[in-house]
Amino acid sequence: MKPDPEADTRSLEHLIAAAARGDHACFAEVYERTHLHLFGVAVRILGQGQAAEDVLQEAYVSIWKNAGGYRSEVDGQTLQAMTWLIAIVRNKALDALRARTRRRESELPESGDIDEDDIQSTGHPAPSAMQLLEQASQALHIEGCMNALDGSHRQSLALAYYQGLSHTEVAAHMGAPLGSVKAWIRRGLEKLKGCLAAQGVVA
Amino acid sequence: MKYTNPELLEHLASSYVLGTLAGGARRRFERLQRDRADVRVRVAQWEARLGHLAASVPALQPSAQVWKAIASRTQPAASTVAADASARGLLGWLKPAGFGFGGLAAGVLAASLLFVTAPGVFLSSDQVAMRTGEKLPQSYVGLLTDAQGKGKLLVSSLRHGKTMTVKVLSPITAPASGTLMLWALPASGPAFALGPVPVAGSAVSMLPDTSEKLLSSVSKLVVTLETDPAPAAPSATLVFSGNCAKLW
Repeated sequence: MKPDPEADTRSLEHLIAAAARGDHACFAEVYERTHLHLFGVAVRILGQGQAAEDVLQEAYVSIWKNAGGYRSEVDGQTLQAMTWLIAIVRNKALDALRARTRRRESELPESGDIDEDDIQSTGHPAPSAMQLLEQASQALHIEGCMNALDGSHRQSLALAYYQGLSHTEVAAHMGAPLGSVKAWIRRGLEKLKGCLAAQGVVA
Repeated sequence: MKYTNPELLEHLASSYVLGTLAGGARRRFERLQRDRADVRVRVAQWEARLGHLAASVPALQPSAQVWKAIASRTQPAASTVAADASARGLLGWLKPAGFGFGGLAAGVLAASLLFVTAPGVFLSSDQVAMRTGEKLPQSYVGLLTDAQGKGKLLVSSLRHGKTMTVKVLSPITAPASGTLMLWALPASGPAFALGPVPVAGSAVSMLPDTSEKLLSSVSKLVVTLETDPAPAAPSATLVFSGNCAKLW
């Protein structure tokens, strides 16, 4: 089969390997293909605003600098490029979220003091974290399996993953005891693992 | 804790990837991950599992500034190529005009003119300095001219230093009475004196603080003729003036 010269069929893995060798055009292509999705991930956690854009910037600079460290196999375990990219962005977003929370906790609120981040992050836009989990489950064909879990298990997992909430924050959001939330999330993760394995989705 | 229990390791790895493992437990787990290949495998597996969940997150468009910032931080080569080309062009113009200040002065002059006229180009001061044959450290620099535009004084100070050098470039007629005083004019706020000005040669003096602290928002330097030995503000008799530029 003749390769179509117009279509860019280079995989993300190959583009990252080329970026690791200093090929900036390939790095730009990685950005082109992935930044919309990764920005979405950052915004889910940080809300719209400068913080999410800063995280995206830091993430891609890190991707450029550490492209040489990406291996499609880690100690015998396959690691897809997109998984690696998502992990970088998500971890930076979580770090930024934690830093913001710490800052707020240590500052005395002043009347009339408007925090830009506050305005952007309150009230998450539809779809909700729960809906995102349902959509992802459907796409993975594990919806039926995951629905065996109580709604509270799925919701707590969804809040932790999509919004980056801590155990304490999930408990506050759901008005549930901290101990219960910890158990629900742990159970939710175990169930996710089992459902994916049953579907033959490569872990 | 020996961390051999697979259930415990799974719990830690999944919590770590999810983001709910915090504080000391997180740091301990990171150390564990560095030391143990089996733990790294578990983490990679959980990254893959949870990574699948990200597929449903709606895509969003960031502002164009993001890529510009990423590109400038990951591809510095592009900006130094532009700086080189412009430096060659401007220096080529300067030499035939025969400023005749000598190597160092010409280099500093060229660099500070470049900064003033095309700041976007002045991205790599090292590149420009090397083009002129001089490798210059980060400094504040000012070239003061008289009313006819003739170069009279060169003022320079290392960015983080307190020593200021004032060099006379072309003969200054000593005033019959009074002293010539050098002033810094900040963007906002009152002018402050930097010190008296020699009429020949070079004078080195100590600034009350580092250049960075004193001059970072100063755009202009002037020399006035003062009759008061310790004036609070510049007199109306302006003798020389020039821009204060950042040589980096």
